[in-house]
Amino acid sequence: MIKNTKCECGHQNPVGTVLCEACGKPQFEEKMENSGELLEMRYDGVARRSQRANPNFIDKVWNFFSSVKVAVYLIIITLVGAMLGTVFTQETMFVTINPETYYKTKYGTIGHIYYKLGLSDTFNSWWFILLLVMIGASLVICSLDRVLPLYRALSKQKIRKHMQFLTRQRVVYQGPIHENSAAWIERAVTPLKKKGYRVHTEGGALLAEKQRFSRWGPYVIHIGLIVFLLAVLFRGLPGLHMDEHYWFPEGEITPIPDTHFYLKNEKFTVEYYTEDEMSEDFKDQGKVVPKLFETKAVLYQCVARCDDPLAEPELKEVHRHNIQVNDPLNYKGFQAYQFSFENISELRSVQPTLVDKETGEVYGKFKLTMNDPDTEYQVGPYKLVLKDKYMDFGLDEQKRPISKSGEPNAPAFLFTITGPGLPEDGGQYIYFPYLQQQQYYGQDQLNQRLGGTNNKLELDLAAMTDVDIIEYNSYLNIRVDRVMPFVWTGLGIVMIGLIMGFYWQHRRIWLRVDDGIVTLGGHTTKNWFGMRREVSSFLQGMGIEVDEKSLDNGGNRS
Amino acid sequence: MNLLEVSKQAFVIAFLLYCVAFCFYVVTITGKTWKNRDPKQHERKWGKISFVTTLLGLLSHLVYVATRWAWSGHIPVSNMYEFMTFLSLMIIVAFTIVYLIYRKELVGLFALPLAIVVMAYAAVFPRDVQPLIPSLRSIWLYIHVTLAAAGDAFFAVGFIAGLMCLLRTIDFKGTDKSARRQKLWLEITFYSIIIVVGFIVSVFAFRASGYEAVFTQSAEATEQSSGTKEVYNLPPIVAPYESQLESADSFLGMSKPLVEVPSWFKGVNAGRKSNTIVWALITGTLLYGVLRLVLRKPLSEALAPALKGMDADDLDEISYRAIAIGFPVFTLGALVFAMIWAQQAWGRFWGWDPKEVWALITWLFYSVYLHLRLSRGFHGRKASWLAVLGFLVVMFTLVGVNLIIAGLHSYAGTD
Repeated sequence: MIKNTKCECGHQNPVGTVLCEACGKPQFEEKMENSGELLEMRYDGVARRSQRANPNFIDKVWNFFSSVKVAVYLIIITLVGAMLGTVFTQETMFVTINPETYYKTKYGTIGHIYYKLGLSDTFNSWWFILLLVMIGASLVICSLDRVLPLYRALSKQKIRKHMQFLTRQRVVYQGPIHENSAAWIERAVTPLKKKGYRVHTEGGALLAEKQRFSRWGPYVIHIGLIVFLLAVLFRGLPGLHMDEHYWFPEGEITPIPDTHFYLKNEKFTVEYYTEDEMSEDFKDQGKVVPKLFETKAVLYQCVARCDDPLAEPELKEVHRHNIQVNDPLNYKGFQAYQFSFENISELRSVQPTLVDKETGEVYGKFKLTMNDPDTEYQVGPYKLVLKDKYMDFGLDEQKRPISKSGEPNAPAFLFTITGPGLPEDGGQYIYFPYLQQQQYYGQDQLNQRLGGTNNKLELDLAAMTDVDIIEYNSYLNIRVDRVMPFVWTGLGIVMIGLIMGFYWQHRRIWLRVDDGIVTLGGHTTKNWFGMRREVSSFLQGMGIEVDEKSLDNGGNRS
Repeated sequence: MNLLEVSKQAFVIAFLLYCVAFCFYVVTITGKTWKNRDPKQHERKWGKISFVTTLLGLLSHLVYVATRWAWSGHIPVSNMYEFMTFLSLMIIVAFTIVYLIYRKELVGLFALPLAIVVMAYAAVFPRDVQPLIPSLRSIWLYIHVTLAAAGDAFFAVGFIAGLMCLLRTIDFKGTDKSARRQKLWLEITFYSIIIVVGFIVSVFAFRASGYEAVFTQSAEATEQSSGTKEVYNLPPIVAPYESQLESADSFLGMSKPLVEVPSWFKGVNAGRKSNTIVWALITGTLLYGVLRLVLRKPLSEALAPALKGMDADDLDEISYRAIAIGFPVFTLGALVFAMIWAQQAWGRFWGWDPKEVWALITWLFYSVYLHLRLSRGFHGRKASWLAVLGFLVVMFTLVGVNLIIAGLHSYAGTD
């Protein structure tokens, strides 16, 4: 089907044009030539790409996504989906429980149906992600479909518009003037310029325009949203994102798996509000409220011998930060967040003294580290060889010592001691650093049974200063998020677009004088109230008194 | 008198001033028909008086914020009481801005009661100053919460203007299906508002009388290691599931609960919450009934004549404009700054926490509204209904999520 798309002014318009690109005369409405209905001013009535004749497959896909109606439906479906996703706790909120049974026991049959429908993990479900992708497609296509033709239309506006174009705007004024048309138009330029308009004149016609940039606001918003959505989508790629939780005992340098970083928790602090800091009403409730969680952290980077498990890696301090909630450590994108803590009061090391039980003679002391003890110690004339280490001491069925787990719940050290007064091949001695565990497991009885040392020697703790305790274990969330700059950029662009589009309005005033009658048409994207006020104040300046409200042409609104 | 006392006084003064300002607005509108006066001059004069009174209330409200801030060392937006109070303050601010643009006195007639109800609702929650937990100790508390409240306040004004537009345009004499449906839904909207008022009234009435009833719930019923105690401050109509009444003050000879919460209704304090809802419904319905008896017609129909002087298109535009002003503010406050804070505090900018999801839902809802406004014929009544519905979404995000769903944003004082 070939349509004649030439306007009477001689301009050749593309198919789908609503208002002639040149003179603004409404197209395809021959029958309603004189209807007073308001013009459809969206995108200035230009043809959009989606209005192409004979669409092929790609055009059809394009047309689908270019529809604002489709976009609105997509948003509504996403909105309803998101609502459903908040009905019950999502699977991602708990780790240890099996979701299969969780929903049934906690919420009953409804919960089970919820789980079976896949709503228990709404936000990671294929359909929810598909919706987001479709919204993304819609954002791109809707914008492209409109922004290019609109840009073309706005950059080549004709000053003299068709009479109908003016009288069918929403803000319209028509009235007689008693002076020369060219002079009147000339006189109108200054007050309009004063109101911030850019004014163009042509014979007996005038076009005043301001804040056109606000028209690009919506498209800027959409660009920002696309950047944001792409960043979020790419976040899932390997290497761009890391999110792990590790324990960092006080005073220890802990390696962080899969990185060349080591983090030392120098000191962990937890503070609580004192009663002086509470209001009277609150004090009465007797609640304890934490004030501060802080890990004094030192970050090291491995510079040599990093991947050799046997060699001691060479570390270099690269960063220091007191990690608090709301104040993470950040070193070139490597981040550590305060997540949790534990009061463990665990031994790091003890310095037991070797004592002669019979004479009371003190031979000296040595430092025994729980995690990483040396294999040999020389104390006075005696040599202690560490034969075995049990982190969580226990006895098996044959009454042989074993370590029940890797947790340092009940550390015990088995030494072979050689030296004066002991058998040639040495005597065996077991040592529990925790005093209460010496009692509980019967250290003396065990040593009695082991024999060897003939009850001659004893390891003893001489002073409290010989004990080094790890007070706290700090739980840090280790993160790397390489896409964050793009996320923030996207959001920044969105905000710029929002401000452009919502806090300014594109306003245009057309004027033409025909046979002593001035016709004014005004258009704005929003805030008609302000537009009418501005037009009325302009007309007043020109010596024409009109009521603001009477400028309103009524009818359909946009 | 310390600062906290000053702050408490300022709160009450602000509340009373708003009430007075509301009365003045009533005079502004109804007085136009009084004898011996020029309606225009009357409206101008009384409009000014009402507005100045509102500003005085706002000033006192700001004194409340400043003194409480100074006393506690942090901005008072950290729990439900403080947040709702702040929201009512922002509603007044948003109203002031919209009034300065449009100079429509009538908006005040509806905006003030909304602010008053929100403020009274705030007072239902525990009012003590609570120390800030570490995750709230951040500059973003100041920025995120205040801006989000500002955005929501503009949506509230959009709701007000939308509701007024509906009152103005709905044909109360109409008998066709559409008119009947619109009348019904408008009345339901007002009924729901009265229910909220009923809730506030019942809480305050029984608080004033110091009512208390105590239940113990067995360990099996709560799925906790030990049995729990639940204290009711409203006479128990609904008892917790499988509970024993320990003690109850007598109310109208009623000392035993009538029914028990069904077992499938779970959650923290399920019994007390359902009891409160039942009370809100009873008190609200009673209030509504009394109003209906006095007015002898539906509330919406009784209110409609007050809007006669108003242009429906103006109301529609005010509603749209308020939402258009609020939308960027809301985006910045409730989403962008929320993401920045979440990134800083929890290490992830988005975690699908119920509050986050509902902020997104609010945002999606208003973006639908804004897109629909582009299309032909989507203005006036249709747009106003969306503005009204939008406010419901906003209130659910602010209150409903905390009371029903909780999650990371379950601050103290929401139980």
